[in-house]
Amino acid sequence: MIGVLLRGVLAGSILSGTLLLYATLGEVIVERSGIVNLGLEGILLIGASVAFAIASVTGSAYLGVLAAAAAGGIAMLLFGYLVVGRRANQLATGLAMMFFGMGVSALVGKSFVGGVIAGLPKYRVPWLSYLPWVKGSTLFNWDILVYLAIPVAVLAWWLLFRTRWGLGVRAVGESPTAAFAAGRRPELLQYQALFLGGLLGGVAGAHLSVSLTMTWNEGMTSGRGFIAIALVIFSKWHPLRAIVGAIVFGGAEALQLQLQAQGAQVSPFLLDMLPYILTLAVLIAWGGARRSAAPAGLGRTFYGTE
Amino acid sequence: MSAGLSAAASVRRVISRAPLFLRYLFIIALALGIFALILVAAGKDPFKAYADTFAYTFGNVYGFSELIVRMIPLLLTAVAVAFPARIGMINVGGEGQLYMGAWLASGGALALSGFPAWALLPLMTLLGFIGGAVWAAIPGILRAKKVVNETIATLLLNYVAPMIISYFVFGPWRGVESSSYPQSPAFSDGARLPSFFNTRIHVGLLFALVSLLAYWAIVEKTRWGVQMRAIGGNPEAAERLGIPLVLYMVIVMAIGGGVAGLAGMGEVSAIQGRLRQGLSPGYGFTGFLIAWLAGGNPLGILLMTFLFAVITSVGDILQITQGLPYSVVNILMAVILFVVLGRRSVRRASR
Amino acid sequence: MKTLKCIAVTVLLAACIAVAPAIAQDKPTLIVGAIYVGSVNDFGYNRSMKDGLEEMKKNIPGLKLIEAENVPETAESERVMENMVQQGAKLIFPTSFGHMDFALNVAKRHPDVFFYHPGGYKVAPNFGNFFGNTQTAWYPIGIAAGKMTKSNKVGFIVGQPIGYALGNVNAFEMGARSVNPKVQTIVVVVNSWSDKSKEAAAANALLDQGCDILTMHVDSPATIIQTAEARGAMSIGFQSIESRKLAPKGWITGLGFTWGKFMTQTAQSVINGTFKPGFVRQGIAEGMMAVAPFGPSVPADTQKLVNDSVASLDKGFNPFTGPIMDNKGVVRIAKGESWGGDKMGDFDWFVEGVIGQAK
Repeated sequence: MIGVLLRGVLAGSILSGTLLLYATLGEVIVERSGIVNLGLEGILLIGASVAFAIASVTGSAYLGVLAAAAAGGIAMLLFGYLVVGRRANQLATGLAMMFFGMGVSALVGKSFVGGVIAGLPKYRVPWLSYLPWVKGSTLFNWDILVYLAIPVAVLAWWLLFRTRWGLGVRAVGESPTAAFAAGRRPELLQYQALFLGGLLGGVAGAHLSVSLTMTWNEGMTSGRGFIAIALVIFSKWHPLRAIVGAIVFGGAEALQLQLQAQGAQVSPFLLDMLPYILTLAVLIAWGGARRSAAPAGLGRTFYGTE
Repeated sequence: MSAGLSAAASVRRVISRAPLFLRYLFIIALALGIFALILVAAGKDPFKAYADTFAYTFGNVYGFSELIVRMIPLLLTAVAVAFPARIGMINVGGEGQLYMGAWLASGGALALSGFPAWALLPLMTLLGFIGGAVWAAIPGILRAKKVVNETIATLLLNYVAPMIISYFVFGPWRGVESSSYPQSPAFSDGARLPSFFNTRIHVGLLFALVSLLAYWAIVEKTRWGVQMRAIGGNPEAAERLGIPLVLYMVIVMAIGGGVAGLAGMGEVSAIQGRLRQGLSPGYGFTGFLIAWLAGGNPLGILLMTFLFAVITSVGDILQITQGLPYSVVNILMAVILFVVLGRRSVRRASR
Repeated sequence: MKTLKCIAVTVLLAACIAVAPAIAQDKPTLIVGAIYVGSVNDFGYNRSMKDGLEEMKKNIPGLKLIEAENVPETAESERVMENMVQQGAKLIFPTSFGHMDFALNVAKRHPDVFFYHPGGYKVAPNFGNFFGNTQTAWYPIGIAAGKMTKSNKVGFIVGQPIGYALGNVNAFEMGARSVNPKVQTIVVVVNSWSDKSKEAAAANALLDQGCDILTMHVDSPATIIQTAEARGAMSIGFQSIESRKLAPKGWITGLGFTWGKFMTQTAQSVINGTFKPGFVRQGIAEGMMAVAPFGPSVPADTQKLVNDSVASLDKGFNPFTGPIMDNKGVVRIAKGESWGGDKMGDFDWFVEGVIGQAK
């Protein structure tokens, strides 16, 4: 019984956690450059609606994912123009982007609601997926975005911590003036980071609509953008720790449904609250230590805790 | 591309020279124009949509009264953001605070359903305030103790509050006469805020106006208000001056949350008549945007709230007469914000 | 200055057009308003409502239908309905349960506008209530599941744990048990009539637990059916019989609403001035509900069992006849007692064989 529960939670957490990971990675890169994007929810929605629309029209879910990435990137460039180009308040701009994403996604997705698409094809790992414990579950029988999630996280880590570009981005996040003095171009680096974040956010949204649910619904991301923002802090702005965070949070989501499917006697609402309370609890428990891990120049008006 | 940018620059120059009221008018006209273009691109008729909205909201008593009804919770959530903003606290938790105010007020209504209105309503109002206040005090304390940033904390609590309500309407507070649907029993007459004439405008309007006035009075006219501005500008200096920062932060957040809680109390007491799910279509976030657009200026809050209420009507019309999802009107809201955000000088001037 | 003038002129022009009088149009026979809680393209409840309304529109020439989708079950809906009344609607269908109180408020303000609300229980001089007898209709569907399952575990995903939904689950399990005493129905509640990602995760969780048939009471069966189909499981649809298109291999059968006949009658009564509000509950026999065609893998003897059961319902068979025990061993319906249509909203317990939390 426990084995089945564990397997179910693991399987569920990987499925739910994939899009959380992509979204978190995007936001990590963005915040490392010193910008907070509260509008991540809007980017996810744009990605989800565009992916579904293109997949419906072209019949290819892969094209949908690519289109979603592009749409996310473009939306983030708009965000960038406002917060970098016009030095607008990041929080307000972020929330405006959230509303923008809600509206644009509703408009784009309107004609495609109820459409049926084939979804991203799934690939089985040759003999791993036939192991006795694994067989019959969704483990090792995933679409390409799931398989690529961890490699992308490693790539993000490598980009941020092992390349000159990443060093520049992080320097801008710590102190734009110092970076400028050192010969970098802070604004260009920020635009690049934002664009990359948009690509990843678009992909995250796409996974929801063309793989997990194979449908489009207004507002279907249900606050996952905000969970990702919390996850960024949870993982101390580090792409590799984000993997753990995404699995834990995907797992919390999966746990309550798996428990129900086992007949557990817990209120579904209390279980539903778990991911959010968990985030808050973790933030409180490790809050002190985390603060110093934040890029010093993050958001300026965003980070009041010194 | 560069032609577009220089056109934008010249528009900007023109607008920044006009008086404040005209500036807002231009911004709105520009946003309406951009939105109209989007509607045309979507194959819809923007002029008809705007015309229908005008006819419905201004040519019609009920329609106009609905605008006021819409404004009540928005005014409250806007003040809930503006007040803490004075000391640099960012309260994005209006949603959750509204729900918790509704929850606590409902608890009072259900527990004391036999009480007469003159006793029960003030009690519920107090409970509504306390509910929201506590919900905001939690992030306030976390921020004051430098544990968690209040933006994230208030955001997360936004999601927990509606679930608490769901738990209660499905469980302990489930109404018996409608056990088939998750909602509390209907409130007694004594627990219902009265409405005016034959409209849905209710006494919550008084709460909203009083809160707005109190906000203005405190911030502009009292020593406390001056202190707050000092803290908001330079926390370290304020601390050196002996101002108890932690206490300030918690109390101010609590007051802000309490005002949002009043919005929740108004919704359950006047509009819904019971506790159920889905009380707020984003009032908390919209309030944030209103407060920000108004730069914390009370008159600006009033005007912006009116504007947003009208935009809601545009959304309804779009849905009924043009077949677009209501959510599309969020684009209009976002465009207004983008236009304002793209112009730094407006905000500075109105501060 | 020139830019200023251009802007001013544009705004003025827009204002002039805005206050220009509306173009006269042909007067329709009747304007009917409908609000949906979700999108009509959901292969589910909203689709069934839309189909019914379209049938009504086809049957009555000159009828104009104005609609609004994604209207939440909150005070917002009151505004939308008021708007429709302003646009001249004389009959309104607030198609979701949660629209009831708000529709009543609008009805009180406009005694000359008629309302027929599905799934609720309040009635007023210009406000009636209708729904399909779903609970008993789930019994034959349960028979199909009981015969088709190999793992003896069937997953049932419920949107909100309201009495009517629990009743559906109960009838379903009783039907399944009548042909297969070992069958268990596992219930997962997703706390939303329409949260697709939760539905997908719930479907996966149930499949992980070994269920080989999935069914549901949510607004749209699409996501759950597609998830089942992708993992090689069977599915039973609900709300709209169109959903069988989503599961070419795994479809067993389903239960759908066919509102058209009733809606036509109602609209006609408004036109004739003979509208009488009532508490209407109709079943398969009266044409308000239909059992979907069977899928390719359902054997003929199972089909016969199901059809026989449907016929027995028409003849008055009530599955909710005591003694019936709940899944904790307590007798809920005593021997000789029988629960009729009016008690279908009172369920807060599950029958034996159901694994799940009723509260």
